[in-house]
Amino acid sequence: MTVNSQTFAYIVNEEEYPDKAVILEEGAKGDWSYVVLHGRVKVKKKTPKGAVTIDTLNEGDIFGEMALFQKEGVGPWEETRGRRTAAIVADGPVRVGLLDKQKLLDEFEALSPQLKGLFKTLVSRLEKTTKKAANLVVE
Amino acid sequence: MPDTQETVPPIVHLHYDKGELIMKEGDYGISIYRLLKGHARVMKESEGKEIVLATLGPGEIFGEMTFLNKLLEARSASVRAVDDVELEAWHPARLTNEYKLMPNMLKYITNQTLVRLNRMNKVVTQLTEKKKKEKEISSQKDADASKRKSYRKNVDMTCNYHPIRWSNKAGSICHITDLSLGGVVMDVNAKNALNFSHEKNDEFNIGTQLPSGKELNFAAKVRWIEKKREKPDQLHLGLEFTDIKGESARSLGFFLMP
Repeated sequence: MTVNSQTFAYIVNEEEYPDKAVILEEGAKGDWSYVVLHGRVKVKKKTPKGAVTIDTLNEGDIFGEMALFQKEGVGPWEETRGRRTAAIVADGPVRVGLLDKQKLLDEFEALSPQLKGLFKTLVSRLEKTTKKAANLVVE
Repeated sequence: MPDTQETVPPIVHLHYDKGELIMKEGDYGISIYRLLKGHARVMKESEGKEIVLATLGPGEIFGEMTFLNKLLEARSASVRAVDDVELEAWHPARLTNEYKLMPNMLKYITNQTLVRLNRMNKVVTQLTEKKKKEKEISSQKDADASKRKSYRKNVDMTCNYHPIRWSNKAGSICHITDLSLGGVVMDVNAKNALNFSHEKNDEFNIGTQLPSGKELNFAAKVRWIEKKREKPDQLHLGLEFTDIKGESARSLGFFLMP
């Protein structure tokens, strides 16, 4: 997959990381979303038996977006709100783009409560299932 | 929220009792549900077993996959009520227009989340299956030992069955293909005229006649269910005896003797 023009329009900054660099740390606070511009990153999740790689993201893939949809609201998201739910680690040298968080947030906030609820659910489901998958991998 | 468009069906409030199936994997359905009270379990079926993907609580939404993924024509998972559940059902028309008008970038992010969620669901399903198989292999030794002690015969017996809580004697036709001291394997029609369901742990009263001419009546519980791909209406059920008395137990014992 490649980065499409619509994604490029949201990039406000670019960062480069060497192999094995931790781009996002699980549990850390942060609300920027990123797109992989060049290279590959691993999604790593902590489990009681150590960290496991649960997914790999390629060019054009977005990460860190969970924080965006979980910014506000009460409910099952409370616990992890504003915290990174997984670590993102460079798999070889990578270049990533930072996405305009204010623009994305404004667009998201303009949606109806129903549609917002839908996205929050989707993100929360992904988070739960990823955690479950990670625990099964090491079990 | 007041309706501005007359074409949008109203929000419907629904109640489900503990254990009831709210949504079934493979079924056609378009509603989006939001939990108001209680909890629900999202599950995948695999070889007649249920694999739990997530447990949802008040405020959470399900049924959104069919809405977000236009290629999906059927429900991708089942949802069952964990306790007494109250929920509201939205017709997707409520959201379709708004979704269409949404900025492309949000659609793009949503699609990525959806793809990743499907990938993680697959990981969970596959790993759970693998773990179960490993367990089965490790317990194979014991199973082999007990198999030698129990007699098992392939048969072709027509039977009549109905759910155990039914007081009336009306029932549906079934075919027993395998008989042992522990239970039976039988074929049934998934859609019977009396409209009762076939779920795991459902208990039935079953009556039949052994090839020896003796009557056999018993109660049994569904342990596993197998759907035949070529005949989706036909179910293959494995049942374990829960109650088999006096004459029936004796006749079965004699019949199964080598």
